Amino acid sequence: MAKVGVYVCHCGSNIAGVIDVAAVRDFAATLPDVVVARKDLFMCSDSGQEMVKKDVRDGLVDRVVVAACTPRTHEPIFRAAIEKAGLNKYLFEMANIRDQGSWVHGHDHEGATEKAKKVVASAVGKARNLEPLEDKFVPVTDAALVIGGGIGGISAALELANMGHKTYLVEKRPSIGGVMAQLDKTFPTNDCSACILTPMMVEAYNHPNIETLTYAEVDDVSGYIGNFAVKIRQKQTYVDWSKCTGCGDCATKCPAKTPDEFNAGLSDRRAAFIMFPQAVPKKAVVDIEHCLNCAGREIGTLPKINEKTGRPILAPCERACPAEAINRSVAYNPAGTIKEVEVGSIVVATGYQVMDKGWFKEMAPASPNVITALQLERIISATGPTEGKLLRPSDKEKPHTITFVSCMGSRDENFHTYCSRFCCMYMIKQARLIKEKYPDMVINMHFIDVRTAGKGYDEYYTGARKMGINFFKGKVGGLEMLAGDKLRVLAYDMEAATGIEYESDLVVLATAVELPPDATALAQKLGLQFCGNHFFRELHPKLGPVETAVEGLFLAGCCQGPKDIPDTVAQAKGAAAAAAVPLAQGKVKIEPTISEVHSEVCSGCGICIPLCPYHAINMITFAERPRAQIEMSACKGCGVCTSACPSGAIVLHGYEEAQIFAQIEALTA
Amino acid sequence: MIIDQKKIDEAVATIIDYGGHGIRRCVQCGACSAVCPGVRAGFPLLCRNLIRHLLNGQLEEIIEDASSWGCQACNRCTENCPRDVRPQEVVFAFRRYQANQLAFSTSSVTSQMNLFETGHAVYTDPREVRKMVGLPEVTPTSAFDDLAKIEIQTLISNSPMGELGLF
Repeated sequence: MAKVGVYVCHCGSNIAGVIDVAAVRDFAATLPDVVVARKDLFMCSDSGQEMVKKDVRDGLVDRVVVAACTPRTHEPIFRAAIEKAGLNKYLFEMANIRDQGSWVHGHDHEGATEKAKKVVASAVGKARNLEPLEDKFVPVTDAALVIGGGIGGISAALELANMGHKTYLVEKRPSIGGVMAQLDKTFPTNDCSACILTPMMVEAYNHPNIETLTYAEVDDVSGYIGNFAVKIRQKQTYVDWSKCTGCGDCATKCPAKTPDEFNAGLSDRRAAFIMFPQAVPKKAVVDIEHCLNCAGREIGTLPKINEKTGRPILAPCERACPAEAINRSVAYNPAGTIKEVEVGSIVVATGYQVMDKGWFKEMAPASPNVITALQLERIISATGPTEGKLLRPSDKEKPHTITFVSCMGSRDENFHTYCSRFCCMYMIKQARLIKEKYPDMVINMHFIDVRTAGKGYDEYYTGARKMGINFFKGKVGGLEMLAGDKLRVLAYDMEAATGIEYESDLVVLATAVELPPDATALAQKLGLQFCGNHFFRELHPKLGPVETAVEGLFLAGCCQGPKDIPDTVAQAKGAAAAAAVPLAQGKVKIEPTISEVHSEVCSGCGICIPLCPYHAINMITFAERPRAQIEMSACKGCGVCTSACPSGAIVLHGYEEAQIFAQIEALTA
Repeated sequence: MIIDQKKIDEAVATIIDYGGHGIRRCVQCGACSAVCPGVRAGFPLLCRNLIRHLLNGQLEEIIEDASSWGCQACNRCTENCPRDVRPQEVVFAFRRYQANQLAFSTSSVTSQMNLFETGHAVYTDPREVRKMVGLPEVTPTSAFDDLAKIEIQTLISNSPMGELGLF
């Protein structure tokens, strides 16, 4: 016979302010198998826990019920306490008389007390039938996957690799570096972006524990924390990277042009190209979508032979390549190749895109002199289309008046209601860089608010005011195209409560940060959820900022929400630390409160298999007949299979039939 | 200015009552005023600044201000507003409030009298000019159609405008 101890908590006045705790205790003492019933001001305090432990040690009780708050926060505390006293920790049941009692029935003290008695009776009913259970463990694959090779992904990968874990770094573009590689300088210290990023790119690429897979995308993910099976598609480069030296001769000879994504569309690149001078790895790719197949050199066909010379007629890229890395006769698979890897945890750091100016019809998007801030970044960058000279796109002339417009698509019900967080700072940075170089330049900046929360950020902003950059509070309402490629700016000075109208040579729009469209497909593969702002959702906005609802899957950088470089790096290192936990432990704990099939009872009907939301059930052969079997590391203990099984062959440990019926009986008594 | 929550709530409720439902959504970004032709022309209390005064509860303090009658109803503010405030509707709500308190400028009384008498808010006698350029003196509009005038006057008399007792 079970010896049940019941411990009722006052929770200060949280419970006792509404519920008559002594009455609940006295009632509990009358329940069958209850041998002791006590109360305490705070059961979770040391003295409260000690009360329980002592009763267990003295052999007084062998089942414990605590009537207090929620098991979400406090069950682990009491389980640990009774385990320490020598009792199996699953011989514990919690009765929630606070969240579902005193908090919601504050107006009815008597009713709340009666309800508390029933809840306690139900918990006691279950406790009498509890069976000891053992935690189970599954081994972990000691490797991690980082998706996205921007500054977030690189930081996370380096952190994991330096902890000694094998790390796969997957990047969809031909080079790692992400958006940070496109930036000229970085606030608030104005250090050159490439100068601080390139060494990290090289370090990651050459790290013995990191395998960098660029021009690659995650194709499929299966499994669970500790043991994910990942299929990575390495896209077809049409260049033999084992031979390519990154000289770029193919790009100089290739005649096919297409807008250069790296220069944000401000210039053209060739179909055969290297992403940018500091690319890592510095390898060429033939973008087959824009390739002209010069000389009829379709991939996988033999060249025509020159009748006069008898030599094959090759495409310019092939002829240009001194390393013989381009051979269009090879029948490359356009789908690329699939690489399968096993990892224990995954960090998602897929980054962001900025909105296109085309969304903002009132901002004269047809004018070439209306550009996004990322485009200005390329214009002032030494590796950009103007080699760092500030020339406006329409006529390659130096502008005299530049206008910055904040909050384009951010804080806007028509697009995104959130603040993109780092636009204020990069606009000020760009203005400062230009003003430093060209002190005569008239720079007008228009903000709704200037938001500069960050270390050294506000000083950076007030410094810009001292430099003679003009700041106006008030959103720009519209632009009008004028003769001479100029733009009329229709603005407003809120402080003076007056309209502003002037002509500008170049207008820079700080367009909103958002997830790129391909993030949706990745979320489906990984089981990631979206938040209301359509970024990936973290487990908890405050206490779980790098975790997700999927165990073993972590977030870093702008894919979780807009953030600048310092915040991205900090979050990436946090995500790496969290992702390293299962790898360092070498095993993951499986709670025993999961389902199990009794093979001798199972009829093999298979109803449970499609119902399982975690794909944890398979068919096996048992006694020469098909039987369901549950993979314990995939089971989350939801109980769907248990309730659906027509043979009653599936038991959900910790929620067994006798236990549940005892609860129902107590509640309906 | 003294911050008086009662006055603020009253002003906001009045504007919402008269159709300016979005007033509480305003974040004072100023995009409306940046494109407002009335602001450009120098009317001080339109769009952003009118909303600011209303959100400060200054309904009575600004009731005699004629700025709202400078609104050309171009609706550019509403097209531009990032928070779905629909500033033009706030301006119109304030105007309706002003009209109901008989607080409007003489220029707007004249145009309403014109509307009642001729069917045109802005009316000048066209006959002399038309005669000069060889056009028929009388135009085929309500101004020279007694039946149409009666219809217009009936409509106005039975509308909230009629309740103002101007006609």
